[in-house]
Amino acid sequence: MLAIEYFEVECPEPLGAAYYKQITNVVLLDHNLLRVIHKLHIFIDPKVPIFIAVGMLKKITTRVRVGDFANVNPLEGKITLVISDETYLAPMLKIFWQKFGKDHVEQPDRFTVILYDIRVDPKEIEEIIVADPSESLYKDLIYAFRLIAPEGFRLRSEIFSNEKFSFVASENILPENLDTIIRNKFALMGEVP
Amino acid sequence: MTLVPVTYKGGIYQHDIIIDLIEDLGGYIVQKHIIAAEVVLQCFVPRDDIELIRRIAKPLFGEVTDSPLVGTEIAIVSMSLEIHHLPHPSCDIAEYVRRIGAKSNMVSLARGPGKRIAGLNDEERDVINEHDIAVYLMGNFETCIEYKMPTLLRGIDVPVIVCGGPDKEILKKIIDPPVDGYVGNVGRFMHRTKESDELEKLDEIVAEITSVLEKKREAIAKDPLSVSPARLMDLIMEQVPAIRDVTSPTPLTVQMAGLRVKLPYDTFAADLRKIEIEDKITLGDVCNVVPSRMRDYILVKILPFSETNTVI
Repeated sequence: MLAIEYFEVECPEPLGAAYYKQITNVVLLDHNLLRVIHKLHIFIDPKVPIFIAVGMLKKITTRVRVGDFANVNPLEGKITLVISDETYLAPMLKIFWQKFGKDHVEQPDRFTVILYDIRVDPKEIEEIIVADPSESLYKDLIYAFRLIAPEGFRLRSEIFSNEKFSFVASENILPENLDTIIRNKFALMGEVP
Repeated sequence: MTLVPVTYKGGIYQHDIIIDLIEDLGGYIVQKHIIAAEVVLQCFVPRDDIELIRRIAKPLFGEVTDSPLVGTEIAIVSMSLEIHHLPHPSCDIAEYVRRIGAKSNMVSLARGPGKRIAGLNDEERDVINEHDIAVYLMGNFETCIEYKMPTLLRGIDVPVIVCGGPDKEILKKIIDPPVDGYVGNVGRFMHRTKESDELEKLDEIVAEITSVLEKKREAIAKDPLSVSPARLMDLIMEQVPAIRDVTSPTPLTVQMAGLRVKLPYDTFAADLRKIEIEDKITLGDVCNVVPSRMRDYILVKILPFSETNTVI
């Protein structure tokens, strides 16, 4: 858990807290979300029952560009791209089709894309933004916390902003003083919501 | 002649010698798996003849091991089919007991999760009651287990083992009404069981199941069954050809005091009742043939000696 500066699970049952710390760790690791969370405080009270997760997010500006996963080689009027990672191949092709037209784009095999008769600087092609993983970040985080929270907690309140988030779930009606509780949990991390 | 459950593992080459031997000795083969070039036979064999089978299997590199769970059907009761419980730990446990011979079915509850909202409906209750034993896989919090266990145990009359996150002693204290077995420190987790301490926990669950089933076996021995379930299995296999067309891995599932026949009840129940076991005693005389709550299967419940006055 080196990537997270603050990570606590608070629960009246110490053994339950230890199990949930392990579950949280496994789920966040599996979903590759440890890199985006800066601080995380989880509070579970099975007596109420309620599950609260509050935390701080890291700023991530890792937009994926063509140059990150492909070598762009101009040669005799055509530009050959050698792909090293297929993950973003589909969105890249879509952008190329839109920009240059299907007649100018050819993919002879899985790892090669050839652009014909285009007058663009190879440097420009390298700079084309293909995907932005942070777009689906909130969706992924909410999904991960739904997995971490005990099952059956179907009443939820989620607030996700650029830097901070809170996720509350319960099987009963959420308490009226929810804002105060969330503020207190943020205070434990030395933050304000 | 006492039949004991064992597993035979060996090469596929000449394994029919072993099958013939077991059948000639009066044993029964409950399940036969052929995996690549290996054969696994789960069978009941006479206690005195185990050494003979070992001796004959030796040149074939076959080995015979005790598997007390052969011939039992176990319900692994998972609180839901959500990713919260599957595939870990529910599938891990179901698969582990399968390795040592048990036939395990996963029973997942429609409204199992949560605390206040947890419940058990009549179909789930009946399906669980059709098994020899039920293993409940609970969560990590003692408050929730304490709160929902009475609801989940309502109407269950088979032995129950509860696995949960809290320690075994705490589980014993909080679960009311008391159940037959407890395994602590196995609650909800979301990773595969592969570390040695986790495998030890799985072994602990198996040990608990074995000890509870041993008690059930002793109880059955006091008032023995009119006919052995394995013998019935052989008879049905011989006399109801339709069972050979069933594609299920175990068309006939042997239980401790009965048999699940995976054929439609309406079509085949009458034929089953008419099967002659010996000396004009039919299956219908010594068994109750009832519809199962699991699909449209047939459940054959063997009556004890005290009710039929016959043991064949």
